[in-house]
Amino acid sequence: MNNKKHKDCFFCVNQMDVDYKDVRTLRRFVNFYMKILPGDRTGICAWHQRKLTQAIKRARVMALLAPTHK
Amino acid sequence: MSKSKASGPSSYEVLFIVANNYTEEEAKTIVSKVEAIISENGGNITYREFWGKKKLAYVIKQNHYGYYSLCEFNAKRETIAKLDRTLRLSHEVLRHQIISIKAVSDEERAKIKEKQEQSAVKNEKKEEKTGKEKFQKVMTSKNEKTEKNDSNKADLKDLDEKLEGILNNTQDLL
Repeated sequence: MNNKKHKDCFFCVNQMDVDYKDVRTLRRFVNFYMKILPGDRTGICAWHQRKLTQAIKRARVMALLAPTHK
Repeated sequence: MSKSKASGPSSYEVLFIVANNYTEEEAKTIVSKVEAIISENGGNITYREFWGKKKLAYVIKQNHYGYYSLCEFNAKRETIAKLDRTLRLSHEVLRHQIISIKAVSDEERAKIKEKQEQSAVKNEKKEEKTGKEKFQKVMTSKNEKTEKNDSNKADLKDLDEKLEGILNNTQDLL
């Protein structure tokens, strides 16, 4: 049995697309060390989680998000 | 999404960073140069956005800051290849990224931005709230200690700001 509480997908609920330029939204899906949180922690549906990881990596390339913390 | 046909134009978006050793005006001329490359090679620019000087999340070629510029356009594959090559060879552009996007109208874009803004504000308020609660909890348990910590934090912030200012000045001198 899955004991974890079911969360609603952030992007489905808000009807938003994942955008790599929207750093403020991406920031909430990485932890203190700037690591991408797993799907069971973010509560995002698998489809959006895939888009999210892609977006975070794109943001890192463009120096919008740090790859690690200071 | 279906794969685009080899010959037909499709929507792309390029985001690039211009190095910090130029003034804002010079940076803008560089941006218009890049846009010229797109339009000269049969591309059709649909949207442009200049973000201005922003702090980079990490240092790129000894640049702490950079001018971000965004451009959406319709173009063929050959144009993309050419643009990619020229940007990669250019010394003025630190980084660039070309990705294919869904074309959106101005109205839709405004709506998307509004939504992003709303969600960000909500999140920040939430964080503030939880932060305040945590602070109050600590305050009630250990009154003196928190005060000490707080003053330390304030000092660190001041120092950070000063350092940033100094770095900025030295960069301008260079």
